[in-house]
Amino acid sequence: MSEEILVLIEHRGGKARAISWEAIGFGQKLAGLLNREMAVVLLGHEVDALAAEMTQRCGQAVLVASSPQLESYTPEAYCAVLSQLVCQRSPWLLLLGHTYQAIDFAPRLAAMLGRGLIPNCVDFRWDGTQLTFVRQVFNGKLNLEVGFKGSPPHLVSLQQGAFSAYDVQSASNPKLVHVDAALTPEVLKRKVLGILKTAQGQVDLTQADIIVAGGRGLANKEKFQIILDLAQVLGAGVGASRPVTDGGWLPKEHQIGSSGQTVAPKLYIACGISGAIQHLVGMSNSGCIVAINKDPNAPIFSIADYGIVGDVFKVVPVLIEAAKEIRK
Amino acid sequence: MQILVCLKQVPDKDSRYKIDSAGTGIDEEDLVFETNESDQYALEEGLRLREKFGGEVVLLSLGGERVLKSIKNGLAMGADRALHLTGSEFQGSDASVVASAIRRAMATEAFDLVLTGVQSDDLGFGQTGTILAELLGWVHATIVVEIDIQPETRTVRVKRELESNLFEQVEIPLPAVLAIQSGINQPRYATLKGIMQAKKKEIKTLTPAILGMQPGDLGSTGSRVDHRRLFFPEKRKQTVMIEGEPEEAAKRLVEKLRKEARVL
Ligand SMILES: Cc1cc2nc3c(=O)[nH]c(=O)nc-3n(C[C@H](O)[C@H](O)[C@H](O)COP(=O)(O)OP(=O)(O)OC[C@H]3O[C@@H](n4cnc5c(N)ncnc54)[C@H](O)[C@@H]3O)c2cc1C
Repeated sequence: MSEEILVLIEHRGGKARAISWEAIGFGQKLAGLLNREMAVVLLGHEVDALAAEMTQRCGQAVLVASSPQLESYTPEAYCAVLSQLVCQRSPWLLLLGHTYQAIDFAPRLAAMLGRGLIPNCVDFRWDGTQLTFVRQVFNGKLNLEVGFKGSPPHLVSLQQGAFSAYDVQSASNPKLVHVDAALTPEVLKRKVLGILKTAQGQVDLTQADIIVAGGRGLANKEKFQIILDLAQVLGAGVGASRPVTDGGWLPKEHQIGSSGQTVAPKLYIACGISGAIQHLVGMSNSGCIVAINKDPNAPIFSIADYGIVGDVFKVVPVLIEAAKEIRK
Repeated sequence: MQILVCLKQVPDKDSRYKIDSAGTGIDEEDLVFETNESDQYALEEGLRLREKFGGEVVLLSLGGERVLKSIKNGLAMGADRALHLTGSEFQGSDASVVASAIRRAMATEAFDLVLTGVQSDDLGFGQTGTILAELLGWVHATIVVEIDIQPETRTVRVKRELESNLFEQVEIPLPAVLAIQSGINQPRYATLKGIMQAKKKEIKTLTPAILGMQPGDLGSTGSRVDHRRLFFPEKRKQTVMIEGEPEEAAKRLVEKLRKEARVL
């Protein structure tokens, strides 16, 4: 069964992550378009229950590599097992979700295989002969269509949410196949000491109806105060992009995005935030999005319901006054 | 501790882009370039490790004449010397080509640690350091937000950022390649004294020929992925743009949020 499409599942606490279901749905779509077989790959320890659930739900062959050494993720073990699997089955395409795990091991796996990896794809093009992928570049201001050179297997990782339109179908090939997960001890070069959560005083923004968020455009900690002021008048939560928490203008818990909180308030007011994809994944499901930015080409405007092109230091103070009026 | 810090130069974040005539890249004219953000954090981390353990911080940057600005700034911040990989044949190289050029540049050196940023703010493939680790046969760690080196055991404990405010702590052996995440420290500024001292520091130029690379290994010919087309994204939503002076625009926005969107 050569030249198939393999979709790698990422799971946590016995459940496949949402992005993995998106990858399966998209994998099925591609398999149909390109007239190829597809199989799902699951790595872990004692994951048969999950494998059975996946076989049922998507009706595809699920290849399970099971070993105590795969219980917690390490790039060494993942690369060793996956490169073996790829050498045995010589697939045409390996699809992954663009998760932090994929960021960590997929480039290394690609290098081991001597192949290319197109990461963080948001779209694809198929013209009947060539398959290419689209990814955001230059902080979301431009898109780049990328193709592969040389022979398969090719590796692709998918941006979370970008392929959610392809629902998982129930195919007619449900079977569970155990594949080799043999690992030599010298492969395991790292000790995983533990997983921790940011401890200090949690700020839960997921319950807020309104969030006022500020970004690097606020310039510094002192000037960021106007964001706090606006939030206060509106009774809103305070959010931030990464540079704000990196710079210590606000504690880390206020960060919205892939490494911070994921929120969906009724109203999200983004001030001086450019709209990088890592920020958007944390807030793009908000009900109403307002963007205030001096750059008319800032990508935040592409997902905003209302936009003002202007200087935050001129617009926000007036907003504060106007909001005070209506709160009276 | 011998530390290599890789710096990439990228366009300033507020740049306005024009697509080049080939339709696959940007027109570099009129753009201002700066050192990639997470690479600046990598450099600061390298300098701090040297202050603690001694040794050298060596910078490496690949690109034309313009990247000398990033190199010189890094030397002024306190790096000891630099490797400048340059040659028009590098144009259009993907991460696998860049990683193999870096590995070749490292051949006559004895590094304990390579530090890179997590990804570049221009193309953001986020792979160069990890591919390099594979080529070197070294262990890697990505999205690193804390480094704790144990010289006695030649190991390093790193804290890695995961999704949703989670972190992982791992211990790996040296030598290693670490991809540094922004926020790990507060990068220093170059001082006047640093700028003066930097003028005497060595910048070694390494061309593909010196590195022993053939034309077929380089540029888009040597790459595993192919840039087909660069374009401006379509808007995903119909945005109501509120025009006018700030005073007026802000008032109209509040009005719309109340009466149209009904969220205030
Ligand atoms: C692995 C990884 C994880 C990440 N996780 C996150 C995350 O969880 N959350 C996150 O936010 N980012 C995250 N990032 C960083 C992300 O890629 C961006 O760098 C970041 O979101 C940019 O923040 P910003 O929009 O505030 O800054 P910039 O991109 O610098 O944008 C600043 C904006 O302010 C505007 N501006 C400047 N001055 C003014 C003014 N006076 N008035 C109005 N507008 C002004 C500018 O036009 C610009 O659009 C992550 C990156 C990586 C690689």
